[in-house]
Parts: sequence; C-alpha cells; structure tokens
Amino acid sequence: MATAVVARPVARPQARARDEEVLVWPDLVFVEFISAMVFTLTLFLLAFLINAPLLDQANADVTPNPSKAPWYLLNLQELLLHMNAAMAGVIIPTIWLVILGAFPYFDREQEGQGQWFGTEGAVKITIAAGLVGFVGCWALILWDSGKLAFFMHDWFGISGGDRLRFLADVRSLQTQLPWPDWSKEITYLPFNLKLLSSDAPGGPTQFQHLDFPGWIVEQGVPIAVMVGLPCIMIYTMWRIGWVETRRDALLALFSGFIGAYGVLTLVGTAFRGQGQELVFPWELKVSEGIPGQDAGGH
Amino acid sequence: MAVEQPTRPTIADKIYDKMFHNYLWKSIFRTGYPNTPRNQMLVVATNVFLHLHPTRIHRTHVKITHTYCLGGLSFFMFLGLTITGILLMFYYVPSVDRAYLDIQNIQTNVQFGQLMRNMHRWMAHAMVILVFMHMMRVFYTGAYKPPREFNWVVGVILLVLTFLLSFTGYLLPWDQLAFWAITVGTNIAGSAPVLGPKSRFWLLGGLQVGPDALIRFYTLHVIGLPLLAAIFMAVHFWRIRRDGGLARPL
Repeated sequence: MATAVVARPVARPQARARDEEVLVWPDLVFVEFISAMVFTLTLFLLAFLINAPLLDQANADVTPNPSKAPWYLLNLQELLLHMNAAMAGVIIPTIWLVILGAFPYFDREQEGQGQWFGTEGAVKITIAAGLVGFVGCWALILWDSGKLAFFMHDWFGISGGDRLRFLADVRSLQTQLPWPDWSKEITYLPFNLKLLSSDAPGGPTQFQHLDFPGWIVEQGVPIAVMVGLPCIMIYTMWRIGWVETRRDALLALFSGFIGAYGVLTLVGTAFRGQGQELVFPWELKVSEGIPGQDAGGH
Repeated sequence: MAVEQPTRPTIADKIYDKMFHNYLWKSIFRTGYPNTPRNQMLVVATNVFLHLHPTRIHRTHVKITHTYCLGGLSFFMFLGLTITGILLMFYYVPSVDRAYLDIQNIQTNVQFGQLMRNMHRWMAHAMVILVFMHMMRVFYTGAYKPPREFNWVVGVILLVLTFLLSFTGYLLPWDQLAFWAITVGTNIAGSAPVLGPKSRFWLLGGLQVGPDALIRFYTLHVIGLPLLAAIFMAVHFWRIRRDGGLARPL
C-alpha cells in the first residue's frame, strides 16, 4: 500500500480559556514567594548544621581509595566497572541524551498533556517499568560483581560447579570458557587506523585484531543488555496490552531509566568501597592513601 | 471585575494614599499598590522581572501539586548560587598556591564565610536534584508534547549545563576530594573514542589536573557556563510563554 508522506502541521499553542484564568499577582506570585522562602530557610538551616567538606590539600601523589567522581557522575563510574570505558563514560550517556532530547519528536500526539500520568494505564506502566529498571539493574550489578553466585552458594547451597563457572560474573565468559586461539585475534582491519590520535603518527603499518571473548565481555553483553532488556520489556508490555501508544512506550522507557539510573547512582555512592568492591554502606571506608603509593583503585 | 466603590477615607487610606500615590513611588513603579485587579495586572506587565509571567494564568497551574515549583526553584537556586558565588569570589584566587588556603581562610577568618560556602555547596547539590526532578515532572505530565518539543530540547541542554556547572565548581576548593573527583571525571571524558584524549587535554590544559586545569575550571565556572546557561534559560522561559504557557489537557 502506497502512502504519501505528508509533513504533519506543527502544533499550535492552545487557545486561552480566559474565564478559567486567575491573576498572576497575587495567586502565582504568592506561591512562588512562599516556596522560595521555604527553600531559603531550609538551605540556611542546612548550611548552619552541616559544613561543606574540605579534606587535605590536593596532592597528586596520594590517591584516596576509593577515588570517586562527584555523586551525580557516580552512575557513570559504576557503569565503567562493568564495560568498556569509552562506552560507559561517553557513548552511552551521549546516545541517551540524544534519545531523551528526541522524545517529543517520537511521541507527537498531544493527547495526555498537562496532567500527571494523563493517559490510561500510565501509572501502571510507570510503576512496573520503574521496578523492572530497579530490580534488573541490581540483579545485573550483583551478577557482574560475582555476588549472585556467592549468595546462591553461601545462602542456598546452590553451586554451579566447574561447568557453570563461566556464569559466575560477566568476565568469566571470557576467562572460563574454552575459546579457540583464533577467536582471540581476529583480523578485521588491514591497517593501523587512528583518527586524530594524540600519539605520534606513523609507525609501522599493523593489522588490527579483535579479541572476540574480550569484546563479548566489554561490549557485547553490555550492549545486548542495555538495548535488549528495554526492548523485551516494552515488547512484553505491548503484547499484554499495557503499551498501546508511543507515549506508553516512552513512559516505560523513561521509568525504566529512572529506576536503573537511581540504582547506579546509589550503588556508586553508597555501596562501592576500597578497590571499588561492592560492600554494604556501613562497611564503606575510605583510605586517605599513603604518599608515593598507588592505592590500587580501578 | 469588581469596581471599587468610593467610601469615606479613613486615616489608613490617607497614609496609604501618601505612600503609594506620591511622585517618587510613581516614578519607580508607575502603577499604584497592587490591590485592585487593574493594578495587579499592570504590576506584572510593567515590571521587568515579573513580566516573565503573563498577567493571568490558568487556575490549574497555580496548584502547587501541578508543578511543585520545581522549574522556578531551579532558577531560584541559580540566582542564589550567583549571589553566594560572587561573595566567595571576593576571597578566592584560582591559583594552586592560594586556592586551598583561601578556602580555609573563608571558613575561619571571613565573617559568615563558612556559611556562604556551605550555602553555595548545598544549593549546588539542590540545583542538580531540582533540575532533574523538574525534568521528571515535565515528562510525567506530558508537558514535552507538541508544541513544546523544542523547549524540551533546551531543557535537556540546561540539564547538561547544570551538571557541567556543578562539575567545574567541584575542583575549586583544591582539596583531595576535589582533585581526585575531577581526575576520575575527566578520565571518563578522556575515554571517548577519537576525540577523548583531545577533549580531556583541552579541558585540563595539560595531561593531568594542575594549575592550568584550575584556571580553566574557574573561568568556565564563574563566567563561561553561567553565561551560556543564562542564554538558554532566557530561551527556555521565553518559549514557555510563546508555546502557550504551561501544558494543560486538551
């Protein structure tokens, strides 16, 4: 069936409902003033009670263990522990920000705006997807830190033995499986390609090799998980009739993101101890580091 | 609209008249005291700060549970951070030799210095949280939908700018917390394919966090990024009005 592609007319602002309006002064200005005052007082109180931290003077020779980024970047630092650095630190956040910015260009219906959870089933989808993101992210972190296998063994007495050892964490897929030698060095580029590299240019022309088991662990599994799981979740919700519109799909995607993002931030902040080991928050200690000695963080 | 009926002036009316209808007051505010609908609309329309708002607004939008004031409070944090930031700038010199000592000096020798620093820090954290919550509010109320597509994009840019503002400020105390957090943070940026090492070098002005990084972060923190954020905020606020105010059901 041939369909003509017609540019949809750009949505215009709604007409004002003048009989439904109230005066900005005093109705809105009052609310704004009160909320500004509440925040000013709360922050003054906070500033009186809790001092901003100030540690010893900066010293490039003394590495605290663990060294952590500001808390709002700890979600990325947490991702870094599980996959290729460029992917976790730059590529994924960039792609996600682009997807986020593209939301309104994907969901162009005006239906359901201006109201909290304004469409049918929105609350249901939000809670379910948020939980999937929350639980799923925790499960993946526990798997990759080897804690899942540890709990299974120590708490339930279940052990995979040697045959399932490759499932203990993600890295075991590379180290515990009998990969043939050729798979660790697959030639894919007949020359040494380096774009805008800050290294000295030139050098002998080399073949570029791919360590496939390493790639699986560093990129393959993470991509599959981060693209696959949201797709499976949204597909399932579509099949059981929860997700019907693009708005519903975005609700599921965004809520899943909020759940996972929250867990990543929380784990990075409160559950990562020395050497970025996964510990309980009350076991978390920071070593200030000894001069001239690398404390051995990641 | 109610029309005022003339009554006999009381002593309060006379004082009121003297205060708000004199030459000086009128030269500043043009309108009288905003106690009549006419003056209340005029005061919003004729005041440069208040005219960010329309004179009248849909009644559902003044309900606190509709927005929780999150966007406005984010802006309020930005203003508060500007004020406390300027006060801190009086005492702070962004050099490796002085930065840390200046912070100690602010905390111990400057009148209300510790308070200003605390306020600046907690407000910065609050702003990151508020901006993020504002984004969640806009999403869950479906307020990004047409015709507000572009304003959502501007909002995403402002979210990134908020992170960058906070991140650049993090280095300035020049203590261990600052130094290693920025080392970790810029290492993350440096891992980008192709442009990573270059952008890290550009950000730090060198291969590691040092004097050049401090002056760059300082300049970005106190002028570069706030200016950029102010421009995007102007667009953001302007677009709210142009796109028909806050979203409401069809």
